[in-house]
Amino acid sequence: MAEGGGWQPPRPCEAYRAEWELCSSAGHFLRHYYVHGERPACEQWRRDLDSCREWEERRSAEAQSLRESEQARVRAARKHGLVWAPRQSPPADWHLPLPQDNDR
Amino acid sequence: MAAAPDERGPGPAAGEQLQQQHVGCQVFPERLAQGKPQQGFLSSFFTNNQKCQLMLLQTLETNPYVKLLLDAMKHSGCAVNKERHFSCEDCNGNVSGGFDASVSQIVLCQNNICNQAHMNRVVTHELVHAFDHCRAHVDWFTNVRHLACSEVRAANLSGDCSLLNEIFRLHFGLKRHHQTCVRDRAIRSILAVRNISKEVAQKAVDEVFESCFNDHEPFGRIPHNKTYARYAHRDFQNRDRYYSNI
Repeated sequence: MAEGGGWQPPRPCEAYRAEWELCSSAGHFLRHYYVHGERPACEQWRRDLDSCREWEERRSAEAQSLRESEQARVRAARKHGLVWAPRQSPPADWHLPLPQDNDR
Repeated sequence: MAAAPDERGPGPAAGEQLQQQHVGCQVFPERLAQGKPQQGFLSSFFTNNQKCQLMLLQTLETNPYVKLLLDAMKHSGCAVNKERHFSCEDCNGNVSGGFDASVSQIVLCQNNICNQAHMNRVVTHELVHAFDHCRAHVDWFTNVRHLACSEVRAANLSGDCSLLNEIFRLHFGLKRHHQTCVRDRAIRSILAVRNISKEVAQKAVDEVFESCFNDHEPFGRIPHNKTYARYAHRDFQNRDRYYSNI
């Protein structure tokens, strides 16, 4: 989406602050090491928070880096291939009564 | 689930199996973590079925993991109805619950779910299976890789393999131990519902692990505790703003 004309940061600035604080916490360091075997990288959350605040105060061009950062997060989340084919509609029987209910 | 009531058809498609050997609810990590008496007030006046129903209601109404999964499923066209999509039953063996894809229903083993924390985790685990059933063509009964993928995801995202739960199971490890736990529990769950060898189950888990361990939908992250789950739910509720502004 182009700058201006109603654009806003993808998340409220408060969300970036909360993510940065969570990421920087000792508890997260421990959990991240437990899962991934390495220390977490939290610097991008801090950069995103700063960009968000710059945009709120001055409608700064820093907002472009915020969009790029979030696009990178989405790419990283989607880079793994899927094991199964996605559905176009939910299972046909999801809302149907249970088979024994039909016998009553 | 290792065994199902006679009237249930082909059996559960996916299940959660308790890791330690025990009878009923005598030994379980969440009980020790909570520091609460094993049976407590509910045991004195309620049947197992009544306790199961009460704990299930509490989970559905208050647990942030479950509330996100319910919202995500509703968004995908699979709104969950407690009476239709959950069943509290007695189960054989040491299983906590299962997802029966043949009738789209989650089975909760009322004789093996010990306390509220355990119920929270079992419901989360089985709802991950239900979510996968809702959003994808999962071949539960003839494709072991599909089953393995959902079991990896359920073990990864439900809190099954939290550091605390593993410590209380006397499984000590730190660096990347979470992944070891997810692999092991996924294999156990597969073996609980499919008559295949451990080698076949292990091979299936190995083949899908990289993809499925990193598939965090609908959480967008591994929810290590309720704080992470609440943040994930906040992000899910904000998704329209998010995707329209990147």
